[in-house]
Amino acid sequence: MISSYEKILKTAQDLRWEIGGDFHEKIMESLYTDASQIADRATTHPGEEPRFDLDRMIDRLVTSRIWGFPLMLLLLTGVFWLTITGANYPSGLIFTLLIEIIHPLLKGVSASIGIPWWIDGVLLDGAYLATAWVVSVMLPPMAIFFPLFTLLEDFGYLPRVAFNLDHIFRRAGAHGKQSLSMTMGFGCNAAGVISTRIIDSPRERLIAIITNNFALCNGRWPTQILIATIFIGTLVPSHLAGLISAVAVVSIALLGVLLTFVVSWALSRTVLKGEVSTFNLELPPYRPPRILRTLYTSVIDRTLVVLWRAVVFALPAGIVLWISSNLLINGVSIAEYLINFLNPFGLLLGLNGVILVAYIVAIPANEIVIPTILMLTVLVSGMTGMGEGSGVMFELESGMMTLDLLRMGGWTLLTAVNLMLFSLVHNPCSTTIYTIYKETGSVKWTTVASLMPVFMGFVITFFTAQIWRLFTG
Amino acid sequence: MIDPLIALLSGIGVILFAGLLFWPQSGIFWRLQKRRELTEKVLIEDTLKYIFKCERNQKSATVESLAGMLSTSMGRATEILTITQSRGLLEMTGNKFMLTETGRKTATQIVRAHRLWERYLADATGFKEADWHQRAERLEHKLSLEEVDRLSASLGHPTHDPHGDPIPTPRGELVSHGGMPLSDLPVHSTARIVHIEDEPDVIYAQIIAEDLHPNMVVELDEVSSDRILFWVNDQEHVLAPIVAANISVVPLVEKNQVETLPGVPLDSLRPGEKGRVTAISSLSKGVERRRLFDLGIIPGTEIGVEMSNPGGDPTAYRIRGSLIALRSSQARLIKVDPIKES
Amino acid sequence: MEKKLNKDNQFEINESQAGCASCPVHNAANLKKLGVDMENWDFVVALAGNPNTGKSTVFNAMTGLHQHTGNWPGKTVTRAEGGFEYGENRYKLVDLPGTYSLLATSLDEEIARDFILFGQPDVTVVVVDATRLERNLNLVLQVLEITHRVVICLNLIDEAERHNITVDHRRLARDLGVPVVPTIARYDEGFEELLAAISEVAAGETQAAPYHVNYNHPKLDQAVSQLVTQIKEAFPQVPNARWVALRLLDGDERIIQAVENGELGDLTYTVADLDSPGVDTVAQKSGIRQ
Repeated sequence: MISSYEKILKTAQDLRWEIGGDFHEKIMESLYTDASQIADRATTHPGEEPRFDLDRMIDRLVTSRIWGFPLMLLLLTGVFWLTITGANYPSGLIFTLLIEIIHPLLKGVSASIGIPWWIDGVLLDGAYLATAWVVSVMLPPMAIFFPLFTLLEDFGYLPRVAFNLDHIFRRAGAHGKQSLSMTMGFGCNAAGVISTRIIDSPRERLIAIITNNFALCNGRWPTQILIATIFIGTLVPSHLAGLISAVAVVSIALLGVLLTFVVSWALSRTVLKGEVSTFNLELPPYRPPRILRTLYTSVIDRTLVVLWRAVVFALPAGIVLWISSNLLINGVSIAEYLINFLNPFGLLLGLNGVILVAYIVAIPANEIVIPTILMLTVLVSGMTGMGEGSGVMFELESGMMTLDLLRMGGWTLLTAVNLMLFSLVHNPCSTTIYTIYKETGSVKWTTVASLMPVFMGFVITFFTAQIWRLFTG
Repeated sequence: MIDPLIALLSGIGVILFAGLLFWPQSGIFWRLQKRRELTEKVLIEDTLKYIFKCERNQKSATVESLAGMLSTSMGRATEILTITQSRGLLEMTGNKFMLTETGRKTATQIVRAHRLWERYLADATGFKEADWHQRAERLEHKLSLEEVDRLSASLGHPTHDPHGDPIPTPRGELVSHGGMPLSDLPVHSTARIVHIEDEPDVIYAQIIAEDLHPNMVVELDEVSSDRILFWVNDQEHVLAPIVAANISVVPLVEKNQVETLPGVPLDSLRPGEKGRVTAISSLSKGVERRRLFDLGIIPGTEIGVEMSNPGGDPTAYRIRGSLIALRSSQARLIKVDPIKES
Repeated sequence: MEKKLNKDNQFEINESQAGCASCPVHNAANLKKLGVDMENWDFVVALAGNPNTGKSTVFNAMTGLHQHTGNWPGKTVTRAEGGFEYGENRYKLVDLPGTYSLLATSLDEEIARDFILFGQPDVTVVVVDATRLERNLNLVLQVLEITHRVVICLNLIDEAERHNITVDHRRLARDLGVPVVPTIARYDEGFEELLAAISEVAAGETQAAPYHVNYNHPKLDQAVSQLVTQIKEAFPQVPNARWVALRLLDGDERIIQAVENGELGDLTYTVADLDSPGVDTVAQKSGIRQ
């Protein structure tokens, strides 16, 4: 005796053999036939569509052979230029306020009420300083970049960028929309990873997520600029210094774009071969953006969310950094043990132990790599009269002083070049890793996205170092 | 500090070694893994499947042909046959093999697993057509009966595999596609492809390369001992008889009984031109195909070509009021009837 | 604008409200945005629609939340929820992922479909782009197959006007058999009427006569009617037996499951059905739940 439920399913199963395979299509056809009849009865088009041509005109212009790419470059350069110049001033202001004024103030207060030195160290020099550093470097550019980007998006321009660039990305097995998540990644990789939601094809979305890290993010630009200026800029006559160091930084960023394509290509042909791939890109009509509303929602929705995640990760990093450089075993701090342990490996890669430890500590935020390196260099070399004390991050007034400090720490031109390379090609920051996990929901892909770049970084710096030494040494 | 030359050479060495081990498909590691999977169980199941197919096609299986199929020696093939027989799956009378009732049932289950898995690969993954069969060959041995049932459920209990073969029901019933080999079709007749045999790989690859698929309508023009010439959708195809024998067709009495794919590919229209959709090729399948329907691309839909990307591909189309970009690889599969602007 | 935003004759509400709603800046006077506060709701409202129709703008306007939306399909990946109060009732508003269809071929579609079917919302609002009516109606027709408690929010009528398209919403309402309210969500216009229509459908005061798709396929019709008979025998209360039959024929795993474990039988009050007066069952249900 079978139940009536089973009987229904059995009947359905038998009937399916009779109806045939194009069932789904038949349903779709009927739906659209009826939909178009109802729509026709309800809609009237008096006259020809006059203003429709405006949309069409813009489309013709922004996708034209001649004007398409220059316009796109102009707009995107404009966005970046506004971000960089616009962020300079508020960034300095926040830095001065949080680090140069409030930090000593808090230290003074805690000293006057007699808080034990280690509590003061963990909280103020560790947690507070790291967080303040990240906020001051990260907040202003993001608060400018994201709303600008969102405005372009709401206007309807960004889908056209994806349309224009699709044939390049297609060759790499990726989706045109990846151009947007990549551009977003230049602002922040975590935000870039979130923005891959617009890619509705599973394979291409994973590719975009995994390769987003190769877009040189806002937290890494300052490192590149500083190192390029003091190590590469000083190689040439001073009137060329600015140009040459700019060329060096841009080359690194372009190398990142190149790696994006190479890795996308390789992924789509190997590990991601079996993921579903579809393409469709809707080009919505242009709509005048509602500027204030957009600014408001993009600040709330993108900037603050990403900033909050960064703070959550930077705070413990500061604590770890402070403790590891102050907790002594046999008179030597944990950080020093670690540095000495990693130093041979670091040197083999043309880097050094300090840099590797700085990158381990700075997994939460790339912004604190340089201050951490400076602090650790002073700590290891036992220099006196430099820095702010163990576990306290700092930056130096002038590039020359930084250069001298690093040279004393054993840095060469190779170290600088390899640091720039490693800064581009290493694991994503923990905010991004967490975001990748949230977006993919998969431990496997999060692991791939985290470990593959760091492994690639080792390979690239290793070969650079050996070839360099072969020719110079 | 290690001598940079030594470091460099050993670095290159490590990378070459890793490449040798893990290079996709041809790497040593993958080869070893494949060999490990080729256990006795797999060989027995493949044997059953082979004899099952021979029985259905009314061909006789020999030890030689079996050894060839399993790519092992004659001795090993005989050994496997003996084991299969001792398990009561096979009866041997003289030189002929016959599956027992249990043997036939086991064979149907393997065929079911294989075809369901191919359906899955076609509908729910991005693997290319040429990869389906090999992957299904490996997985058919790994799925338990429950897993196969669950797979079938998750796919919506499909009735046919992507090659047009019916999938056996859980009870082991198998509906035949009822076709005849294309090579046996009389000259100048019209027929519909119902099935394409996916073994052996070499021949299957040739058929795929010709873009032939189930449900296409074939018009036979010339049959000789060294070539068979036929037309599909106004395109000429020439195949060797041995290749054509792997395509099963059902002759059509009247040509207009069945849908052909009339019209020109959408990607042949230039910006400013319009067309009405006549059909979507069966090559577009799975998620991709359903997405096209969702966008409103169904027979009868009017599509206008709006503009091309600066590089020529993708192209933006006006579809039911929306502007939608499709790559030419997709647009090629949408057949349209050009509309002449008055 | 005045003329467009007037109430549809079918859904009378009091004059003063209608008058206020036509002032463009201010939105519904009786609306209290509750943000994420969704305690003690009386009714659940689901918000469905194609991508890029301003669905999330409607959501934000009603709840006072600030969900960012882009000009993209598939942006709302997860379900967003918010609350609002209108008249004497509190509503929970659930923003479903934007989808072109409900045939459950992607995760988004599955989420949206499952919520409309198993979440048993009191009202499903389908946001429709007036400039792309045909493609949007495809989704509307699918929603109408599942539930009759539907309000159509005919959005972007300003854009339609810009493109010289006029949509006769009364005609549309008559053809579809459910309330149709024209809105311009970006400028908060038309919400008073939308809220009124929602509250009427929620309270069971609106009689729906939903349109049913004609499948024009003899073999299919025969198969469907055969299944419908069996389904009605096993699950007498199920109001959308025809839809269930179609999903079973399409091999929809979730629906097969619902039949297998009898879950389908729990979906009793989903719609104010055509045959039964509906009003009573709805009133009872909301009474029980409070």
